[in-house]
Order: sequence, then C-alpha cells, then structure tokens
Amino acid sequence: MQRAFRRSPIVTGRLAPAVFLLALVATGAHAMDAATWLMRASQAARQLDYVGTIVYQIGPRVESSRITHLYDGGREFAKLVNLDGPAREVVRSEGEVRCYYPDAKLVRVEPATFRNVFPSLSAEQQQSLTRYYEFRVLGEDRVGGRPVQVVVFEPKDGLRYGHRFWSDGSTGLLLKARVLNERGDGVEQFAFSDLTINARIDPSMVAPSWPVVPPDWQVLETASADVVARDTGWVVTRVPPGFAKIMEGFRKLRGRRDRIAHLVFSDGLVSVSVFIEPIVAASTPAGFLQKGGLNVYSVRQDDHLITVMGETPGATVRQIAHSVSHR
Amino acid sequence: MNERISRLMDGEIDASELDVVCSALKGDDALLTWTCYHTIGDALRGESAVTRSVRAAVSTQLATEPTVLAPRVPNVSRAASWAWAAAASIAAVAVVGWTAYSLIDATPAGFAKAGEAGTMRAAQIRPLTVPADYLLAHQEYAPANALQSVGPYMRDFAASSPLRPAVAE
Repeated sequence: MQRAFRRSPIVTGRLAPAVFLLALVATGAHAMDAATWLMRASQAARQLDYVGTIVYQIGPRVESSRITHLYDGGREFAKLVNLDGPAREVVRSEGEVRCYYPDAKLVRVEPATFRNVFPSLSAEQQQSLTRYYEFRVLGEDRVGGRPVQVVVFEPKDGLRYGHRFWSDGSTGLLLKARVLNERGDGVEQFAFSDLTINARIDPSMVAPSWPVVPPDWQVLETASADVVARDTGWVVTRVPPGFAKIMEGFRKLRGRRDRIAHLVFSDGLVSVSVFIEPIVAASTPAGFLQKGGLNVYSVRQDDHLITVMGETPGATVRQIAHSVSHR
Repeated sequence: MNERISRLMDGEIDASELDVVCSALKGDDALLTWTCYHTIGDALRGESAVTRSVRAAVSTQLATEPTVLAPRVPNVSRAASWAWAAAASIAAVAVVGWTAYSLIDATPAGFAKAGEAGTMRAAQIRPLTVPADYLLAHQEYAPANALQSVGPYMRDFAASSPLRPAVAE
C-alpha cells in the first residue's frame, strides 16, 4: 500500500502527458462533432427547398403548421401557416419576417431575425459546447417517413436543459427536436409529420396570402435602427459557466417610451436575454413564467424591472436575474 | 391561501407548503378558488370546452361531494402556459373579469372568491406583457433557432392570443 502510494506520483508523472493528450484529442474530436453537426443542420435549414407539416408540442398543447421553404440564389424565403386555431402565417423574405394575424387584423413586421450563428461558431463556443454538454450520437431512427440520425446534448450541470435532435440522414435537415427538463421529461418538441426535401417550390408558394395589407389592418413595425449595440452600464455577475456575452445594447420596443437595455449570453447552444427597463407603472409585480423550454423571470430592482428569458431551467434565469446591477 | 393556490397552479410552490395547500383544497372555499383560477385560465387559453366541463362539474358535484372535485378535474393545463398566453392587457383583464362573473352565476357561494381571483390575476398578468414583447427580441439570438427556418415562430402561434394584448397596449 505504502509502496504503491509512494510510486504513484511517478506513474502519474509519466502518464500525465499521455492522458492529457488523449483527453485533448477526445475533447477536440467531440467539439468538432458537435459543431459540425450543428453547422450542417443550420445550413440545411437555410439552403434546402422543402415543404412539410410540423407538429409542435409545448406543455399540454399540440399544434400543426405547414412550412414551405425556398432557397433561391442565396436568398431565403419561407412561409409558415398554422393549421389549428385562428389562421395565421409567418412569411420570411429578404431581410424581414412578417407575421399575419387576420383574427386581430394585424401584421407584425420584424427586421432580419435570428442570426444564423452556427456557421460561425467561435472556438470558445465550440469549447463550451463540449465542456458543458455531453454530445452523443444515439443512432438511427425514422421521422416523417425518413431515416434520421439521433444526437443528444446532455447537460453536465443542472443549469441547462438537455436537447435531443433527429436530423435527416442524407441532408442533415432537422426533422425533430426535443427539449428535456431536469428530470429528463420533454417540455417542448417539434417534429415533421410529413416532408418533401428538394421539392419544386414556386415563389408564389412562399408569398403571403395578403400581398397588400388590407386598409383596416394595423401594421406594427420594428426598425433595425431601433437596436443600438453599446455598453449599457449594466453588469450580470452570476451567469452560468460557459455562457459568454454575445450582444449588449439598447432597443426600442413598441409602446415603451424608454429604451430598454438588452444583454444576451450564450453557451453555444442556447441563449439567455437580460432586459432592463425603468419601471413606469407603480404596480409592476415580478413573476416567473415557463413556456415549454423557455423560462422567464422578472424581478424589481429599485426603479428598474429586470426580466431574464432563456432556454434554460427556471433556477438559471432566476439566478441570473438576481445578479444584475448597475455599474 | 389564494396566493398559495395560485403558486401551486404555476408550479412555483415550495414542497414544504404543498401539504397545507392540498389539505386546504379539501375545503369549499379553497376549492372554489382553485376552480375559479382554472376557469379563468381556460378562458384565457380559449379552451372553453374544459371550462364548461368544470362548470358542469361544479354545479353537479358541489352539492354532493365537493372534496373529490379538484383532483378529478380533467385536462387542466399548466397554469404557466395560460399566463403566457394571456400576455396581459386590458383585453386579458376584461376576459378575466368576464369569466369570473360567469362563474359567479354558476356558483353563488364563490362570488367573493371569484371577484378576488379576477383582481389578483389581472394584477399578476400585467408584467407578463413584457415577456410577450421581448420574445421576438430574444429569439433573434437563440442559437438553436438557427436550426429551423421560421420554426421559432411556432412559439408565437402556440400562445392562444399573443397579439391582441400588444394591440391593446
């Protein structure tokens, strides 16, 4: 025993570089796998022509939508029409997304939405992906009648949700995705129930049903100039490890007189937004909200309301919200 | 107790308080509050079928055996999702008020509770406008959203009335 103990430092000393190298290689390989997988899926979502039906589940709700996607000479067009409830549609064309709500006689116009972040994952993000998630290829399955590859991002701490993805075997297109909570239960899921990839999509198929907005409809527009990236003077101290700040600035939101500070943190897979706005109304209570895999926590801090929103467990957004302060 | 029932529905209650609230739910007052909150939630989600069944159940079962009602309410969705759908507004508050008073008609005993519930919920719903409006701003930066083209907007659809509140605002 004693001898073994005495000898162990030598063994460790000799093996350490090899073990370290092995670990590095393994980490590197995994980092590559996870990042490669994500980039392939996001590229497929943007660059393929496809039409299909998506079944979306959030909590106890189940809704179906029809999606049509066209990639034409480097430009992306898409149309999403819900099949349940009041008819609504989302049309994505160059630089903007329009949401049509005929039941409310309203059109919402958003500037070029979500950045396609995966094709440009930084080295740090790739590192944090494998450091805080266990990326594994689970095997083959079938979704919407097509063979798929199943992969999972399992969180290594309780601060993140798990993510299971089913991607098309031949193109990499994401056919099914599920967010798993702390207990491993699915809280949000989408899946194609039928899908045609490389379909012939005519531009008219991705055009809005209302090419001209009816005169009695309201148009709500957000100009991209309404978002100004700069130092807001707000700091967040207790962001979970692996989350890095990817955006900070002020944005103007409809119906708000004051600009709102917006900070975004990401661990490479999900993001958490921190919004800070001056409290105008005296009765602005704080609260907690869960919507599928999205958690929101609002807390008052002196004369400001801090709202944290992200695809993480409730405890994570709460922790972040309570660590916001002004410099 | 109303506040505890509300937190129970929102899944925010501490395990330590759970027994107390569950015991209270065996009583008429707490049970009515519980039913009332769910009725409001159903109305806000537009799930009137569930509401009707709850109301029918209230009418018929309250007289006979009220204590077994709460655990047997079918298909009650999680309160948190309707709170989101409500997304706060004058419109939502109006719905709250309307529903609360409809319930009052069905069960006179619940009058005070229902009124209280309406006021309380209206007050709690107000801050949730913020997330409804913030959602679009946030999802621009959610990396996993890049995996789906317009998929993230399904969240928007899944909320039963995400837009009216924004208009009212």
